[in-house]
Amino acid sequence: MPSYDVMPEVQLYQPKDADDALNLADKYRKQGWLLGGGQDTYGWLKDRAKNPSALIDLNDIDAFKGIKSTATGIEIGALTTLRDIIKSPLINESYEVLVKAAKRVASPQIRNVGTLGGNLIQDTRCWYYRRGLACYRAGGNLCYADSPEGMNREHALFNASRCVAVSPSDTATALVALDATMVINNVDGEHEMTAEDFFVGPDTHITRMTALEPGEILTSIKIPNTWANSEYYFEKIADRDVWDFALVSIAMVVKKSENSIQESRMVCGGVACTPYRLDEVEQYLSGNELSEKVINAAAKLAARGAKTLNYNHFKIPLMENLVKRALRS
Amino acid sequence: MELATFKQDVWGREVILGASWDLLWVLLAVTFVGIAIHAIIAAAQKKKAMPSAAGERIERHERIDRIFHWVMAASMFVLLITGIFPKIGIEFAWLTIHWVAGILLTVITVFHIIRSIFWQNFMDMWIGVKDLKEPFDQSIKPGKYSLAQKSMHASVTVLTLVIIVTGIIMFALIDTPWWERTNALPENLLGWVFLLHGLAALALVAITSLHIYFGLRPEKLFYTRSMIKGWISEYEKDENHDQEKWVTKN
Repeated sequence: MPSYDVMPEVQLYQPKDADDALNLADKYRKQGWLLGGGQDTYGWLKDRAKNPSALIDLNDIDAFKGIKSTATGIEIGALTTLRDIIKSPLINESYEVLVKAAKRVASPQIRNVGTLGGNLIQDTRCWYYRRGLACYRAGGNLCYADSPEGMNREHALFNASRCVAVSPSDTATALVALDATMVINNVDGEHEMTAEDFFVGPDTHITRMTALEPGEILTSIKIPNTWANSEYYFEKIADRDVWDFALVSIAMVVKKSENSIQESRMVCGGVACTPYRLDEVEQYLSGNELSEKVINAAAKLAARGAKTLNYNHFKIPLMENLVKRALRS
Repeated sequence: MELATFKQDVWGREVILGASWDLLWVLLAVTFVGIAIHAIIAAAQKKKAMPSAAGERIERHERIDRIFHWVMAASMFVLLITGIFPKIGIEFAWLTIHWVAGILLTVITVFHIIRSIFWQNFMDMWIGVKDLKEPFDQSIKPGKYSLAQKSMHASVTVLTLVIIVTGIIMFALIDTPWWERTNALPENLLGWVFLLHGLAALALVAITSLHIYFGLRPEKLFYTRSMIKGWISEYEKDENHDQEKWVTKN
């Protein structure tokens, strides 16, 4: 596939308010490309791997930006930059796990312009897919990464269904752990869904990674008070410390009573097409006092059911060790 | 309108990707126009008196065959829904439902083939040269099955076998409780498998639509009843079938 390194001809829209943006999204649907920070946009377009007919630049819409406190928690506009999230006293005070995750996204330059919404709905990094090959995710009939010669070091351990790509979002794991809710708008109105339901696997939607339908815009993210000021842990393992995607990451929030765990949320990134919640670990830990024995057992549970590919076996001990480190913290 | 869609393989060569799903709308349109035309012509024709359902009951389908038919209908319906809906934008977790229904269809098809060879009169469904005169001569009555019914059966047989064979190959590409997926098929072969599977599915949409239409037509309803209850009346048999070609025990 040639890399043109110049933008293709595409109609640019810069709506000034939410209604205009929603009307444009509805008009162009699959042919419309929602532009936030643009960090997962220009590569696709310059490579001609995606060919929308309209770019809908949302950056002038103030209603989609900002962080505000609500009666039940906080609400973050989807166009809020990752830098603003990192700098937000409100988020730092009560939901630091999200700050930790946002700090590990890409590089400072990218975080300055990259938005929370963009980080959540960014497409997978599978290079076969991004190269423009007609794989399952691109509407084709096979998975190149899962072929005998496929290079799949970064690919999925869990819930692969034909496609083995993984979710690349760092903030997604934190938001699933925090029981966040996604606020979605379209021309007919607004609806909400849990972060866990928002991310969808290839068994349901093989050509996209979220439940966002064509014509819809993710406008904000609500984080409830449920996990405010809880103990937390976030760690991301990547080949480079900056400007890289997770091989495996973990986001944990936990409520303790003395040394025993009352309730917890543990979510891994980089191991499935969606943020992968460790339900069995959470259940096992509930009511348990933290000891080395419990921690080791929890780590083993974390990777149960993993199906390795040719080159990603290393993710199992990595995942187990991240669970141990999270619990020991 | 093309039958197939194409893509470039990993080496940049053009290979078949699969069936063109735009054909679905063409097929549906042609099928329903055909059905509408038939319905109009049938309505315009002078109605014949329907033979009575009273009188002696003659067994047309044994219980086991009726069960087979409806299980096949159910599995086919599920397969078409789960296979085609995601292609037209109605997405859901269809894959597991699809292959489970596919196994069911395969098992009952194998059962039906064995039963038809060893326990039924295989020739009842065979299309002979004499049968081809049937549409052109009103005086010729069929045996147990009319040429239309035999043709429907032959079409469904061929398409079902194509869909089962290609489906089994595709089945190897996904994880199941019995094996882990393989992804070792050459791209051009894979394209042919997807193409044949898709085209057979599309053809089955058209044939199933016709089958349901004729099954619900007033003058054919007694056949549908026989597929539910097992029998037709002696008058229905006399009116529609050649007594010498279809010899019954009754």
